[in-house]
Amino acid sequence: MSKKERGETIWTSLDRKATAIAEFTMRQYRTRLSTWVVLGVGFLAISVVLLFYIEAMNTEIEAIDNDGDSEDSDGDGYVDGQEFKYGTDILDSNSHPGLLDPSIEPEPASMYINEDDYDWDYSDASMITTGYDDDGDCRESQLLPSAQDGNSDGTPCNIILIYNAATDTYLIYADPNVDEDPDEDRYGKEAQHRAFILGVGKLGFVFLLSIFIPLFLATGLIRDEMTSGTMQYMTAKPIARGEIFLYRMLGYLAIVWPYLLVVCSLLAIVSGFMGPGDQFFRFADLGVWFSILIAALLATLVYGMLFAFLGVLWKYGIILALPIAAWELGMALLSMSVPESSFLRMSVVGWSMSIIDSAAYLVWPDMDMFTAAGAWAGGSGETSILFGTGNALPGYGALEWAQSDLGLGMGPYATTIVSMVVLVCQAAFFWFIGQLIFKSKEIV
Amino acid sequence: MIPDLAQEGAAVEKEWAPESQAPVVMFNNVGKTYGRYQAIGGISLALSGGVTGILGLNGAGKSTLFKLLMGKLQPTQGEVRLFGTNPWKNPAPYARVGYVPENENMHDWMTAFEFVSTFARLHGLTRDEAKSEAERVLEFVGLTDVMHKKIGRYSKGMRQRAKIAHALVNDPDLIILDEPLQGCDPLARTTIMNVIRELGRMGRTVLLSSHILSEIERITEQIVILHQGRLLAIGNLHAIREQLDNIPHTIEIECGDAKALARDVLSLEVVHGLQFPSSSKLKIFTHHLGEFHQRLPKIIVDNEHDVMAINNPDDDLQSILKYLTGGVR
Repeated sequence: MSKKERGETIWTSLDRKATAIAEFTMRQYRTRLSTWVVLGVGFLAISVVLLFYIEAMNTEIEAIDNDGDSEDSDGDGYVDGQEFKYGTDILDSNSHPGLLDPSIEPEPASMYINEDDYDWDYSDASMITTGYDDDGDCRESQLLPSAQDGNSDGTPCNIILIYNAATDTYLIYADPNVDEDPDEDRYGKEAQHRAFILGVGKLGFVFLLSIFIPLFLATGLIRDEMTSGTMQYMTAKPIARGEIFLYRMLGYLAIVWPYLLVVCSLLAIVSGFMGPGDQFFRFADLGVWFSILIAALLATLVYGMLFAFLGVLWKYGIILALPIAAWELGMALLSMSVPESSFLRMSVVGWSMSIIDSAAYLVWPDMDMFTAAGAWAGGSGETSILFGTGNALPGYGALEWAQSDLGLGMGPYATTIVSMVVLVCQAAFFWFIGQLIFKSKEIV
Repeated sequence: MIPDLAQEGAAVEKEWAPESQAPVVMFNNVGKTYGRYQAIGGISLALSGGVTGILGLNGAGKSTLFKLLMGKLQPTQGEVRLFGTNPWKNPAPYARVGYVPENENMHDWMTAFEFVSTFARLHGLTRDEAKSEAERVLEFVGLTDVMHKKIGRYSKGMRQRAKIAHALVNDPDLIILDEPLQGCDPLARTTIMNVIRELGRMGRTVLLSSHILSEIERITEQIVILHQGRLLAIGNLHAIREQLDNIPHTIEIECGDAKALARDVLSLEVVHGLQFPSSSKLKIFTHHLGEFHQRLPKIIVDNEHDVMAINNPDDDLQSILKYLTGGVR
């Protein structure tokens, strides 16, 4: 096919106009200081959060003796945990393993901190039998067999998790002294890592960047040209105003989307290497990062169309955009606490966050169990109904805040697809309204 | 459906076609009001071919007329047709129109070459075509030497020529220039006038507006006079001038020796009165302005008069308007 034969269809000439306006718009953005200030401030804000994350990952979380067995209650030089293991009286200083035959040397208290971590296997069955008594203070204890099977499931020294679909919570029935002193650092790092990804994804990318970048870059996309009169040059050419609107938006996306890709990739790479775990790089997290990127791309598309439309509608469109930004902030916070709220259906941020929640659900299927374990805290959190979650493991609060369940009542794949379709439809709707208004505007 | 990513070679013509019988420009009882202010009212006009000057004072409705034609404004009444098509509804006719807006704002961050070639692509031209087209039109307006400089560094005249170049892309049949000479230095003025005259010679329909009669006079004889949003006169400038000759005109000359000049000027039979506001100023009254202006230079040169300035206080649009609207002078 010769060069001349190519470009016979209406599409090819459309795309010549599209690339001309998109390139023009990109170059126009590049020459403006405000573009660099907005993108730079966005990058700085995200970088600060990243620095906090790096700091958290490099800080050892102080180990807590959740079951209190590292203390020596009777002051006989043997900590309670060791006394318990040998069946001596923890409250009687005249009863301790040193009096046994042969005599047992006292063990350091540190041996009884974090001595029985979680070893739960995730399964999506409604009832799971899991847990292992690492330190043997159940298995090898002097407890009667009936006492070793406190949860009466016929297996001594284990844990039963029962998922309650109605409340979306796990009930934890543990035999005594099983997984009762988890490793705070291990749990806390994992929880903080997940909370960081979800928090920065939802509030950093989908809310902060996806609202404020379009607010400053897209509101004037058409309006600035109309105000300065330079729109006269473009509208004097054989091109429909709906096309101008659309192609200007392409130029805006050509600046914003690569920017989001770069910032998101940077965070994915840094957190992949810095994140907890034995592996060299946390590849599985990339699934969540990818969903964050998709959510942010779609959110900047919808907000871009919306704010450009508001700019066309009124000279001071940014004033119309501000209440919308405030509404979206409210919706962002609502989606993190009440993801099933029907108000969220009337927002952009709610649909975008559904995409992230779906990916988190797929990448971290143990999330509910993981947060339940954090709240339970080896049993010490269980009694804390009166004292709130004060005894919960470190990182639990942040993760509980950042993660939310799927609010659409559908599976993760269906939620993702529905959310993406809705966002694209929202963008198309705002484009349609925007170009309709633009067509009816006189350019003086 | 395959996007033309390479954008090389030649593009194919568009499917829109003008109505063969329709005039290039047609206004049928067109009115435009902004709230209670009537910018133009009841204008009917059809033009095809030639260079037409739209004359009018500031606020007479010249720009409004052009913006209606360019689909930037919607008429409050009547219908506007561009090659037989309603420009408010359909931008397709702009493929054959070049428009130079009055607005002075431009994309200062671009070079003239980028400006022209980028907007040329909106005609559906490929990159290659747009570049060669930009080079052609920039040469036509005489900006080849500076076309790779930023527009922000251009003088007023160069900016105006860049705007004209942008309008000439794709070789339009109709070129609309809104106050193309405003604010230009004499050199740029001459260049732009030559460009417009050349376009007329090439058989294009040219519409240009001005509030200065002498400017229009140097470019074309076909004029339309707008006054307070209404069509006051249309036709040949000389025909209108002929009528003007029936009323007395005043010419004021500043010279070294007013009395000596008066003596020589009196020998012209077209002069019917003189006045001496000061020793270096001479006021001459005539019914035949055109003829007087033809003969005045010879008198000045032959008798070596020292003339500083010749003012025609009446030979401006204002006086024509006054005459045409029946104002008494």
